[in-house]
Amino acid sequence: MSRRGEKRLTVVWLALAAITLAQLAVGSLGDAQPPAPNAALTTSAIVIALVKVRVIIREFMEVRHAPALLCRLTDLWVVVTGVSLLGAYFVGMALAAR
Amino acid sequence: MTTATKGEARRVVPGQPDMWAFVLFEGLVFTSYFAVYVVRRTLSHDLFLQSQAHLDLRVGVFNTLVLLVSSWSVARSVQAAREGAYRRALAHLWTTMLFGLVFLVSKVHEWAGAIAEGFGFTADEFFSFYYFLTGIHFLHLLIGFVFLGVAARELASPARRSQELVETCATYWHTIDFLWVLIFALLYVMR
Amino acid sequence: MTHHDDKRELWIGWWTLVVFYNLYGLLFFVIARTQPPPSPSLDAAAIAEWFDARRYGLLYGYAIVSIVGGATAIMNAMLACSIRRMSVSRAFAYSYLVIYALATLPGMLIMGVACTVGAMRPDRDPALLHWLYDFAFLSFEGTMGVFLIGSLVWMAAVLLDRNGVFPKWFGYLNLCNALTEVVVAPAWIFKRGVFAWDGAIAWWINMAVFVTYTTVFLTLLRRMIEREDFGTGPLPALATGRARELAGTPGAVR
Repeated sequence: MSRRGEKRLTVVWLALAAITLAQLAVGSLGDAQPPAPNAALTTSAIVIALVKVRVIIREFMEVRHAPALLCRLTDLWVVVTGVSLLGAYFVGMALAAR
Repeated sequence: MTTATKGEARRVVPGQPDMWAFVLFEGLVFTSYFAVYVVRRTLSHDLFLQSQAHLDLRVGVFNTLVLLVSSWSVARSVQAAREGAYRRALAHLWTTMLFGLVFLVSKVHEWAGAIAEGFGFTADEFFSFYYFLTGIHFLHLLIGFVFLGVAARELASPARRSQELVETCATYWHTIDFLWVLIFALLYVMR
Repeated sequence: MTHHDDKRELWIGWWTLVVFYNLYGLLFFVIARTQPPPSPSLDAAAIAEWFDARRYGLLYGYAIVSIVGGATAIMNAMLACSIRRMSVSRAFAYSYLVIYALATLPGMLIMGVACTVGAMRPDRDPALLHWLYDFAFLSFEGTMGVFLIGSLVWMAAVLLDRNGVFPKWFGYLNLCNALTEVVVAPAWIFKRGVFAWDGAIAWWINMAVFVTYTTVFLTLLRRMIEREDFGTGPLPALATGRARELAGTPGAVR
């Protein structure tokens, strides 16, 4: 059980690190031309960040083994954050375009 | 998720539920800061984009990887303590502190570099947010060291070793990690 | 043996707190209308208009504040008592008392004086009004150091307490409140934007946290008084329904 637990943590870390490095590659794409707002890049950045956050919460913080209420509350926060940030971005950009 | 799988006992809240109340509340506070940042950003997106270009994405990635390692090591520490391997747990805790320190030094170095180039707190709105978000995060990180210290103290002596307290301290540390993941995406990656 | 009557003083203290906070909100937000704060970027002419529009609200509102302001002593004593009931050193309660006693200056009185001085003479030089305006709002919004340390003292007391006077999550909430005091510090530097003393981050979000914090501690204090057994050990859990009824009648066994 402990070996499995250790291995799982390491695999999780590798996945998170890989995603982060992928963001390095993708993020650099936005630098080629003169800086311009990029909805696709922004959306993926926020969504990927929230995926990482949820993985940290469920795996590192062990919410996976926690009572359903805690699982739901943490998921709720992730959703609220995603909706707020993406909402703020798209509404803001739409208003700015006018 | 509702049925216990092989090897899993009953479902327990990791550490004090009190700390989770803090995590959720502080999480909401940070979400509101992030939302304000995004709104202000869309209002002056050209300015934000130009200023953002002065940040080095690689430093941001490095910071993120460092904190992810520290989260990994504190999670390992909790696991080891649970199995009674206290010396190993303490070793993992020192690793956590070490990587936390690496993050702190890296951040101060990044700030110093930016200030030297003339991008201080009041340089423009992007940089105000940059210093504010990384600054308030930095403060949380410093407090994190207090929690790690409490955990280390617990693990050090057989008279203490409260698993709940160690898990509580780990929960705080992980929060700093995942908050940084979001800050990284908002300051360094989003366009 | 019933303790119900012994608690009368505690309840008087608690109600003083509740009434005072509500009065404070009414006076600052509705009568004087100094909160939510106006912008630091207004020019002298606009500021003169600001004082003019609020002249009587300021004068009467802060006249009332100057009369009832002393209630803060009772408030702070109640909170210090809650800390005394804990298993931690008395030094915590005394530190808290001293800090919050001092806090009434920036947290209430200085702004009151500055605003009423500004409102008192309609023909006051706008440059002077500008000065009073900055003085009032910087002292009120900006001096968070006392509240920061005060919150940390209460936090430490709650987390170290073995008598369970307050739940541990309240200790952590104190940490949240303390951190918001740090967040307000940029108000000394910015005259516009989200970090100015009227900004979305420095004022609005901070106020949301502060209101939550205040509502929570008022509720927890109430519960503490209900649980109070006037001992020095762990505070007993709240008795439920029937047990509470019995405890209230003379001669009943607790």
